Amino acid sequence: MTMNKMLKTLIPIDIAKGLYLTGKHFLRVFSTANRRKVTLHVCSEYPEVKATVQPRFRGRLTLLKDEQGEIKCVCCLACEKICPTQVITIESGKKEGRKTKLPVRYDFEMERCIFCEFCVESCGFDSIILNHQFELAAYNREDFSIGMLGRSQNMFELTPVADFSHDRS
Amino acid sequence: MQTMTLTQTCAMAILQAVAVVIFIFIVVPLTTFAERKVLGYLQDRLGATRIAGGHTGLTGWLNRGMWRMGKVPFLSIVRGLPMFIGDIIKLLTKEDIIPTKADRAMFIAAPALSMIASVVVFAAISFYPGALFTFPKGTPILGGLPFQGFITDMNVGLLFILGIASVGVYGIVLGAWASNSKYPLLGGLRSAAQIVSYEVPLTLSLLTPVVLTGTLNFNEMTRKLATEMPITAVPLLFVGFFIYLTCGFAETNRMPFDMPEAENELVAGFHTEYAGMKFGFFYLAEYINMIVASALASAFFLGGPFLLPFGLQKYIIDVPFLGKPNVLWFLLKIFFLLFTFIWVRGTIPRYRYDQIMAIAWKYLIPFTLVLVMLAAAVRYAA
Repeated sequence: MTMNKMLKTLIPIDIAKGLYLTGKHFLRVFSTANRRKVTLHVCSEYPEVKATVQPRFRGRLTLLKDEQGEIKCVCCLACEKICPTQVITIESGKKEGRKTKLPVRYDFEMERCIFCEFCVESCGFDSIILNHQFELAAYNREDFSIGMLGRSQNMFELTPVADFSHDRS
Repeated sequence: MQTMTLTQTCAMAILQAVAVVIFIFIVVPLTTFAERKVLGYLQDRLGATRIAGGHTGLTGWLNRGMWRMGKVPFLSIVRGLPMFIGDIIKLLTKEDIIPTKADRAMFIAAPALSMIASVVVFAAISFYPGALFTFPKGTPILGGLPFQGFITDMNVGLLFILGIASVGVYGIVLGAWASNSKYPLLGGLRSAAQIVSYEVPLTLSLLTPVVLTGTLNFNEMTRKLATEMPITAVPLLFVGFFIYLTCGFAETNRMPFDMPEAENELVAGFHTEYAGMKFGFFYLAEYINMIVASALASAFFLGGPFLLPFGLQKYIIDVPFLGKPNVLWFLLKIFFLLFTFIWVRGTIPRYRYDQIMAIAWKYLIPFTLVLVMLAAAVRYAA
């Protein structure tokens, strides 16, 4: 036992292990911090350097369009039914030359949304996604009610980023 | 080389001293800056990126461009450089308080003593064995003379360094005592005990190269250690390097052994009562001591101005550029060791006081004695 302890003191493997660990962290931050081309940062300065998120990050609900510019949604109302906080309201309509129905109103109350992604999972037509946006702050309550026609933000485009971010690319 | 007159000798010595002081005053602020950054990186932070203050005035002007620099990989590392201008301005403009009951003369002399002891050591440290450059013929006093890479080439260089370096502890102890306060005194006494204890294994570990080379001359030792060592001396020097480094940490009061200023036990240790530039001198002295310890380690154990340590240089002595001594290698080794100082600080927590003493007396001293004996055996065999 004492022999073991003496050997441990003379050959400081634990210190080497600690140095290896901190050195690894140093190199990781040193080689990734604030680099644009690195997809995931250990740490970076968020407002100046655009923050990257994990691929499965759940951001704001977005309606998708296909290659012809047609709305993919067919108004099956699966998302409206499954939504735990009932933030989606869909009104269906008809259009010349389209076999399926299409939404004339698709309202999304982001104020109450819990970003659970149930709507996306329930969608059988892959017509909605949660995008990677997280800078969703707004000055007015009304701005959180997003529809298909909104001027500042709507269901098809990204929410305009507020002025506090220095990188709007 | 022509013989120098007295005027020439004096002028040369002054020039070299100024060069060394400039070197110190560039490297020390860079080390404090690097300390902030490296500690941050070790802990998955970014460290200092700008200085506190508003968007206007001096701080605003110094911080200008710092946000944009963050986007460029290289510049994002040197961001926060205004920090060391800020540091100097802060230290110089702080109110300089001397406690009423303090011993005035000692209180003022202590930081100076500790600072002088650490700077004077550079007189014997050789950055390069030979002339760095030669003054052109037209120069007023020094025309045609070589600018040496060392200030003096003493026969007892190592002895001089060890002697002067151990004076530094007087600065700490006197400063602690002159403050006339409890915690500084405790810190000073701890420091005295610690530094006196670690002086022994430090000197013994430096004795290994001395025994192997048979000289105390700095240049001679560096050259022989890099080029003329038998292969059996390599493990001895390798182990000796780590022992020297451990003792170096203790001698400079750095993190795993920073007993004199253990914040959670002794307010701020020996410099609790100091403010302004007097504190700045203690601070500077600590960092200069770090440079000295790294310089000695790199000269005696890492080959100094030669590229390869432990006598391995003799295998590449004929290679055109790498075989020659170069002041760059020496500076690189110093910087790497300074990084190691910070790295160890960010990794190992402070030891208990009795553990520190136990390491010195029970392990390091017997171990270094064995090393010295083995070194003597190697020397005898060669």
